[in-house]
Amino acid sequence: MASHEEITASLLAFQEGYNKNERLKIMNRDWDRVVLVQANDIPSQHTLELRNGELSVREGAPPRADLTVIADSETLADLFYGDITPTEPYMNGTLKIIGSEDDIVRLDFISLMIWGE
Amino acid sequence: MKRVVSVSLGSSRRDHRVEVELLGERFEISRRGTDGDFDRAIQLLKELDGKVDAIGLGGIDVYLYAGKTRYVVRDGKKLMDAVQKTPVVDGSGLKNTLERETVYYLREHTDLLPPGTRVLMVSAVDRFGMAEAFAELGCDLTFGDLIFAAGIPYPIRTVKELEELAARLLPEMSKLPFHMLYPTGKKQEAQDEEKVSKFGHYYREAQVIAGDYHLVRRYMPQLDGQTIITNTTTADDVAFLKEKGAGCLVTTTPEFQGRSFGTNVMEAVLVALLQKTWEQITPRDYLDLLRRLDFKPRMVYLR
Repeated sequence: MASHEEITASLLAFQEGYNKNERLKIMNRDWDRVVLVQANDIPSQHTLELRNGELSVREGAPPRADLTVIADSETLADLFYGDITPTEPYMNGTLKIIGSEDDIVRLDFISLMIWGE
Repeated sequence: MKRVVSVSLGSSRRDHRVEVELLGERFEISRRGTDGDFDRAIQLLKELDGKVDAIGLGGIDVYLYAGKTRYVVRDGKKLMDAVQKTPVVDGSGLKNTLERETVYYLREHTDLLPPGTRVLMVSAVDRFGMAEAFAELGCDLTFGDLIFAAGIPYPIRTVKELEELAARLLPEMSKLPFHMLYPTGKKQEAQDEEKVSKFGHYYREAQVIAGDYHLVRRYMPQLDGQTIITNTTTADDVAFLKEKGAGCLVTTTPEFQGRSFGTNVMEAVLVALLQKTWEQITPRDYLDLLRRLDFKPRMVYLR
């Protein structure tokens, strides 16, 4: 089990990876979205916000989310650190993403652009 | 008589059956759509296994190529693995030969592809051979893979960048359910109006629009005489393209009784003629056979 602080640290690593990728920022400048990241085994909620291609992270839930990412704390930390890709946990149900199919594909795409080989 | 069947995840409304003679051999060629129902496709493949001469898989890719790397689409492979006895193909072998040749043919024999032609490929990872051929001939390319599959307004302009992005994205994305990446079943009969209005300008800026017909159709705005290079089209599709203002339709596969079949079907026909296993067949085998069959692109002027 990961702690809330570890999830925060993984999201900050994700944010750093994103912000270093200029091409990714260009690709996402039309995609303003609020993402709730929620652990299902510990009390932990974070907000990822994409606006004008920039990604920000803050602790706590947003008033309204376009996408909700739910998994156990360990999976979330592994995912945002890039130790695992989202596809397998998404396919086996460990990771749930609530939102439109287009948005889910795009979030998958962003994580692969940051961490994919 | 040899029997070749295409089992497709696409709409059953496009089903078709013809009898033709090729190199002195009679063929019954048919297509059976399963309306996006994956389980029904598996069941049908199992029923046909061992009873027909070759099977094509339609509405889905099994192998995607970028450069020398081959990516396996998980859902496509599941369908392929349902067939144990009969040779089964997805059309990727023919895409890499016939569709390259189509581009060279158009340059040599028509005025549709002069150097510098602005070409939009709605998706290029499923037609890498064609993408390379356009690039070789000095076309001004836009690959719409990210635009149309992921809604990302980022045109890929070179084969090198296409390969780089494919290497990063495809190993994982090919594991997703296929319907998340490609329109299957009923989705093939409707346009995605949001993307048509958001990304339609990529079509209008191009002189040639190439790629999988369902993708070409799904995002097509009103056109102004553009050439469409694709494969599977029915009489209704020709009427649709005419209504949209396309100038010319080029299909890479030949027409049988008013219908151009998918590359998977044609590849299955070639496999049945070659009587080799798919693993034994080389691109040279396909090219030699295509020359003997005298397959040429079909051109329909719509204006």
